Amino acid sequence: MKSISLYVDKDSYLTRLHPFAKMVYILAAISVPFIGGALWMYGLFLVISLGFLISGGILKKVFPLIAFSFTILITIFLIHGLFNKENETLLFRIGALAFYREGLLYASRIGLNILNMLLAFAAFVLTTKPADLVDDLEQMGFSPRFGYMITSVFQIIPQMMGTMNTILDAQRSRGMETEGSLITRAKAFIPLISPVVSSSLINTRERAIALEVRGFGSKTKKTFLREHRLSGGDKGFMFLMALLIAASVVWRIVYGIH
Amino acid sequence: MNHLFKTRLHAATFVLIPACIGINYLGKLFASVLKLPLWLDSIGTCIGGVLGGPIIGAVCGAANNLIFGFTTGDSITLIYALTSLGIGAAVGIMARLGHMEKLSGAILTAVVAGLTAVVISTPLNVIFWGGATGNVWGDLVFGWSQSAGLPVLLGSFLDELVVDVPDKLITVLIVFAIMKGLPKKLTSLYDVNDEVEILD
Repeated sequence: MKSISLYVDKDSYLTRLHPFAKMVYILAAISVPFIGGALWMYGLFLVISLGFLISGGILKKVFPLIAFSFTILITIFLIHGLFNKENETLLFRIGALAFYREGLLYASRIGLNILNMLLAFAAFVLTTKPADLVDDLEQMGFSPRFGYMITSVFQIIPQMMGTMNTILDAQRSRGMETEGSLITRAKAFIPLISPVVSSSLINTRERAIALEVRGFGSKTKKTFLREHRLSGGDKGFMFLMALLIAASVVWRIVYGIH
Repeated sequence: MNHLFKTRLHAATFVLIPACIGINYLGKLFASVLKLPLWLDSIGTCIGGVLGGPIIGAVCGAANNLIFGFTTGDSITLIYALTSLGIGAAVGIMARLGHMEKLSGAILTAVVAGLTAVVISTPLNVIFWGGATGNVWGDLVFGWSQSAGLPVLLGSFLDELVVDVPDKLITVLIVFAIMKGLPKKLTSLYDVNDEVEILD
């Protein structure tokens, strides 16, 4: 069964870094440029994230993620480059379309922000196994019931995908059209989705009974097979990120906006 | 009325939430397989809201976006966790008020959910995307509003409005149809108004 997680099973210093340390990195990567307000800060974190991804050997896996948000980036550049309210200085023309400096600058700020977020998250997502993340959260005192909820999403989705393919085949073999005009495709949606949804909801009842039988509601404290504590390196990394955030606050106070 | 926010936290609810998140994922997948110009990624959240009430609906919505954001690298969805939370809560409240029993009520629920989504998403769109949403139809409206010189906030509001309200309308109608077909032995698991009678 294909997992929906993007975790790449590869032993590197990034996979060994504690998930919390990586989360603190994401926090820093998003908040520092946001607080500091300078454009070069996006660049700084883009370079750091790229450095992480290259040194972790997972750069190739990032491209599909970036491609995914490419259309929205183009839309933003088009709309703001052409129609932004503050547009004054003409930069260049393509045919009848005139692009302005102010709008493009605004769009590139948004574009950098998106790219920065994507890469920072990629460094986290590609190197953290969801099950380990949940385990670490539970060891920090996160409710094991919610922990179960998260892990079971990863079991349920591949199962549902299996059911979905069965139903897609079954409905097609009965002659249902799933390709063609918008109306045909829209009409196909309900006979496809409703059997999957009903069957998965009906399955929840049995799952719930199975869980209750295995002591899901038990109030006793849980113990862990594998204890994962923050190492000295993890703590040092988190401290460094906290320093960066503090530095951006100082920067903002000293230099103001931009 | 005092049952509006009452929530049962037993094994059945903790199983319902992942199932709802899975349904959200499937809805989105089917919409992209069939190339429909809608998102349809909140069917599960709405089911969670209708079955479990506003709190479960909100948890479903928020958990959905957080889980996908942190594991599939789709950090864009992370921002919209707030929107999903609002949709789940809105549908849950409307369902508890008894609006999901008739078709007219379902349409009203859809409008409320759609407007909730629009109100929460618009500021997020403006902050993170400069007003665009990434949906072709919505962005055409946004592009038009910007070329007509309307403020970004209003343009983004219209952008979100033309996509979200029809999207939620179809979502809630699908949910309505599915809920009608669910067996009583399942729905009774989540019913908060039932009473346990003891024989002895």
